[in-house]
Amino acid sequence: MSEQDRNATSDGPIAVSLEGVSKTFYQKQRSESPKDILKNMFNPKIREIQALKDVNLTVRKGEILAYAGPNGAGKSTTVKLLSIALAPTSGRVRALGMDPLRDRVNYVKRIGVVFGQRTELWWDQPVSASFEWARVVWDVPRDRYEKTLGFVKELLDLGPFFNSLARQLSLGQKMWADLGLMLMHEPELLLLDEPTIGVDVLGKRSILGFIKTLNEEKGVTVMVTSHDMDDLEQLAGRIVMIGDGRIAFDGDFSELRTTIGDRRPLNRIRFSLRGPRGIGVRVTVTPTGSTPLRCPFPSCSNKHHSKRRCCKSRRIVHRSTM
Amino acid sequence: MAASRFGVFQTILMLLRRWRIQAYMDLIRMTRDFKLYLITVVSDTLLNLSGVAAVFLIVERFDGIGDWSPPQVIFMLGYASLVTGILDVLFSYNIMQISRRIGRGQFDHVMIQPQPVWMILLTEGFTPFSGGISLLTGLGLTGWAITQLSIDLTAVWWLWLCLNLFGSCAVVMGIAFFWGTFAFWSPVAAEEISSQATRIVFQLKSFPLDGLAPFLLNTLLTVLPVGFVAWYPSQALLGLRENPLWMTQLVGVVACMVALLAFRQGLKQYERTGSQRYVGWAHRS
Repeated sequence: MSEQDRNATSDGPIAVSLEGVSKTFYQKQRSESPKDILKNMFNPKIREIQALKDVNLTVRKGEILAYAGPNGAGKSTTVKLLSIALAPTSGRVRALGMDPLRDRVNYVKRIGVVFGQRTELWWDQPVSASFEWARVVWDVPRDRYEKTLGFVKELLDLGPFFNSLARQLSLGQKMWADLGLMLMHEPELLLLDEPTIGVDVLGKRSILGFIKTLNEEKGVTVMVTSHDMDDLEQLAGRIVMIGDGRIAFDGDFSELRTTIGDRRPLNRIRFSLRGPRGIGVRVTVTPTGSTPLRCPFPSCSNKHHSKRRCCKSRRIVHRSTM
Repeated sequence: MAASRFGVFQTILMLLRRWRIQAYMDLIRMTRDFKLYLITVVSDTLLNLSGVAAVFLIVERFDGIGDWSPPQVIFMLGYASLVTGILDVLFSYNIMQISRRIGRGQFDHVMIQPQPVWMILLTEGFTPFSGGISLLTGLGLTGWAITQLSIDLTAVWWLWLCLNLFGSCAVVMGIAFFWGTFAFWSPVAAEEISSQATRIVFQLKSFPLDGLAPFLLNTLLTVLPVGFVAWYPSQALLGLRENPLWMTQLVGVVACMVALLAFRQGLKQYERTGSQRYVGWAHRS
């Protein structure tokens, strides 16, 4: 069994569990019309946004979970529920046997969080100073710190810029340093929200390789979100796809490919995830199990075909029109 | 509650450790470029002196203000600078301007640290070297004024001075945090509200408030308690009026309690909505 498969079917104890979790946000809506000025001030229209709808999800210890979905699907909300004291509207969130909100201090000692395009580094300080700061804040004993630092520096190749100021680093270097920083207290659970965003191909490869090594050697449970399906496929055994606040798919990548009946790179399929109805609908409506094809011909009233030929024009409908 | 979970001894130890690492980081930042350090020292000293220059010039021209002799006014200006200096030393990195952190979504960085929120806010802004320049200006002005005044410098008087300084700092922080809480509800509109509130306090703190209409004076001692930042405690310490020496601490504690109640409501709002935006600007720089 490959490492990916092992991760996908890990039967270890549960590290993260979301039971019937919903999260609703409220947004004030304001029209630009002058006649609505008073209404905008005193009684604006409230829009309800259901970021998560009755989500049930478990992640087992030692697993790498890829969490994917289009913009606004609810990925970051899930990560925030598990990291920065955001309360669910309903349902129960447990991680490492704790309530992340009520046991915040003890809980965050045992997790690492990295948000892409946010940094924990001290901007006007050498990277080394931020690491020393993390040692104090996470109360890491000196010998354990030195050992972990050696491991992280070697694996992420932090040496060349370890004494450079954080503000002088490239985007990739900053991300490596941030990843390293969040590992100094040896977290059991690592939450990565878009860790490769804006990073070049080589940088991405290095980050993904590091996460995989970390999981294999230290048994760290990893939950990683990304838009990039190729990245996720390289990294994780199991993928959970979320669309419109609901879990649309939960399984391994080969199962995902079988379900959508497509052998092309998964990144090409990404476009189908951005439909108004979400991936769950698109993947499951076709009785044959194959992905429906959107007809490109304006004269055709049947907008989706399960076969490759348009019912009206009799011309071939290509998969790229999905 | 948080302290009992954390253990009192461990809490104190962690406070000291966090202050030490912040002091170390501040030192290496200040000494990285010695020329830059000197420029910062000179510019900060000038800035502090210019902040009290207007009142100083009036004192020189009229040989005092009301009942206040020139050295007494200088004592009050020195006291006001000490308050600014202590706050700069303890609450840099936008801790005093807390609405910036909240409004910019940078409060998330606080929540992922494994300490109670109060401890993080009390330690993360500690800059004894770069922030200490205003403190030195304050010490210089106060020291000079004390040598010119016939104050009975007993240990008790020094203790009251320290307690009053603590009270005045608590008043400013109470005002900054009370107003800053609004950023939990309105992150964009209230992003700068703490800085505006403290700016009002710092602009008014250097003026003796004697002779103001009772309504205005009462307002500046209750609704916006600017009078307790320098004027009232200086009067009490110099024995100009029969002001109780404990009043400033009491007002400081009340201001902090009100701010704490408001901030807790703000944290509940944060639990419900999280950060509605994120701006990396000026985070830890």
